Amino acid sequence: MSMGLLLLQSCRLEKKAPGEKLLIVCTTGMLGDVVENICGEYADVKVIMGPGVDPHLYKPNPADIRLLQNSDVIVHNGLHLEGKMGEIFEKLDGEKIVIRWSEGIPENQLLHATEDENSHDPHIWFDSDLFMQGAQYFTKRMGESDTINAQHFKKNLELYLIKVNALEEKVSKMIDQIPVEKRVLITSHDAFSYFGRKYGFRVRGLQGISTVAEFGVKDKVELVNYITKNQVPALFVESSVSSRSLESVIEACHKKGHKIKIGGTLLSDAMDEKGKLGGTYLGMIEYNIQTILEGINE
Amino acid sequence: MNEWIFDIWTIITASTVACTSAILGSFLVLRKKAMVGDAISHSVLPGIVLAYMVSQSRASWVMLIGAAIFGVLTNVLIEFLNKKAKMTADASIGITFTWLFAIGVILLAYFTAGGIDLDQECVLFGEISMINLDKIVVDENLYLGPTAFWFIFPVFILVLLFTTIGFKGLKITSFNEDYAASLGIKNGFWNYSLMALVSLSTVMSFESVGAILVVGLLVIPPASAYLLTKKLKVMIFLGCLFGIMSSVIGFYIAKHYNLSISGCIVCVAGLIFLVNLVYSIIQSKSKRNISIQQ
Repeated sequence: MSMGLLLLQSCRLEKKAPGEKLLIVCTTGMLGDVVENICGEYADVKVIMGPGVDPHLYKPNPADIRLLQNSDVIVHNGLHLEGKMGEIFEKLDGEKIVIRWSEGIPENQLLHATEDENSHDPHIWFDSDLFMQGAQYFTKRMGESDTINAQHFKKNLELYLIKVNALEEKVSKMIDQIPVEKRVLITSHDAFSYFGRKYGFRVRGLQGISTVAEFGVKDKVELVNYITKNQVPALFVESSVSSRSLESVIEACHKKGHKIKIGGTLLSDAMDEKGKLGGTYLGMIEYNIQTILEGINE
Repeated sequence: MNEWIFDIWTIITASTVACTSAILGSFLVLRKKAMVGDAISHSVLPGIVLAYMVSQSRASWVMLIGAAIFGVLTNVLIEFLNKKAKMTADASIGITFTWLFAIGVILLAYFTAGGIDLDQECVLFGEISMINLDKIVVDENLYLGPTAFWFIFPVFILVLLFTTIGFKGLKITSFNEDYAASLGIKNGFWNYSLMALVSLSTVMSFESVGAILVVGLLVIPPASAYLLTKKLKVMIFLGCLFGIMSSVIGFYIAKHYNLSISGCIVCVAGLIFLVNLVYSIIQSKSKRNISIQQ
C-alpha cells in the first residue's frame, strides 16, 4: 500500500523554476519567424514544422513532442490547419498558454473555403494585414502572462510592423509592373485566395484545399479552357505540393495550341531554408511576388 | 521535466493497444480476415463526411460516431458477402472497403468540393507520440495517464471479457463452422458479435494512437504466434507477448533515433515475425530429418 502511494507520488509533474526563459513553440515557420521578431530576446522560440513541410501531412517526431511537452507557450495557426493537433492544443489551455493566431482576426475578414459557413480558409499568412492582426493578438496575450516584458514585446511589434509596411510598399510597386489583365495566378492547390484578394490577382487552383479528393476531369478541362481563353502565360508550382498534376495541365494546353510554362516555384504552406530569401516571413512574401513577376513578365 | 513518466505511459498505452489487437487479431488470422483492420481504416471515410454534413463540425467525437457506424457497416457487408454471397474472405474485404472508400471520395468531392481538409488522416486518426499532450491530471499535478489510455483501456477490458466468456463459441466457429452448426452453436451470432467488437476497437484505437500501428499490431504479432503453436490460447498469449515486446523495443528505438514511434513498433513486430519464421522453418526441417533417420 505504501509502495503504491510512493509510486503515485512519483507521478507528480514538476513545475518549472521561476525566472527561466519562456519556451515558445510555434507550429509553422511563418508563426515562428514573427514570434521570434516580437519576443526573440526574452524567450526561446522553436518551430516544429520545418522548411518544406506540408502542414496537412505533418507527423510529429519524438523530439517535436518533447518540445511541445516542455513548452510554456504554444502558438498555432488555427482554422484547422493543424488538423487534429489543433484540438489537442486547445485542451492544453490552462496547463500552458495556448495562443491561436487566427483568434486575433475578425471572422468577417476571413474567406470561406466552400459555401459552408463553418469552415474558413486557413492560409492567413498570405495577407500580411490579417497575419499582423494575429501578431497583435499574440502580443497582447503574451503581455498578459509575462507582464515584466510586456513593454518590450509591444515595442518589438511596432518595429516589426514598420518593416512590414516598408515591404508592402516595395511589393505593391513590383505588382504595378504587371498589367492588370495579366494578374492571374494558377497553382496546384487552393492556397492563394488571401493572396489574390490582397494583391488583386484572380486565383485558380487545380486542387481544393484538401488533397484527398483528387481533381476531377471537369476541373482540369475547365482550368485548361480558362488558361487558353485568357492567354495565361505561366502557372506556378508550390514547394510543398507535387508538380505532376500541373504538368498534365501544361500538356493539355500545348495540345490546344497555347504555349504555357512553369513560371517558378512558390512558397505556399512552408518557408524556405534559413539564410535564403524565403527563409523569413517577410522574405517569403517578397520571394513569391518576385517569382510571379518574373514568371508572368518574361 | 520528468520525462520517464511520459515514456512509461506511451509504452503502457501501446501495449494495451497491442494486447487488444493481438486477442482480436488471433481470431481474425484464423478466419482469414486479418486485413479487416486495414479495410476499416479506409471505409470510415463516408462516415466522416456524413457526420460532418449532419453536424457541421470536425470535432473528434462527432467524427468518431460516424466512423464507428461505418466500421460496423463494413463488417456487416464483409460478413454478408462472405457468408450469403459465398465470396472468399479476401474478395469480400476487398469489395467492401474499396467501394465504401470510393463512395467517401465522391461524397467529399460533391458536398465540399475539396474545399476543406476532411479525411480520416487529419480529423480522426490520432498519433501515439502525441498522447501525453492530452493528460488526465488530478490534485494539481498528479498525472494519471493520457486520455487516450483511459479511452482504450475499457475497450481492452471489454475484449478480454467477451473472448473469455465466449471463448468456446469463438474458437469452434473460427476453426470449423459446419462442426459448430452440428453442435447447435450459432455461427451468425459469434461472427457478427466478434466483427462488431473488431469494428469498435479498431475505430477507437485509430482515434487514440493512429491507423498504421493498429493495422500492424492486429496482424503481425498473431501471425508470429501462429508460426509457433497450434493451440489457440497459447497463440493469443504469445501474440500479446510479441505485441508488448514490439511496443517496448520499438518505442526506445524511436526515442533514441528520433523516428516515428508507430513506424518503429510495426518494424520491430515485422522483425520478430521474421525471427519466428526462420525458427519455425529450421525446426520443421530438423523434425523431418529426425523422422527420416528413424
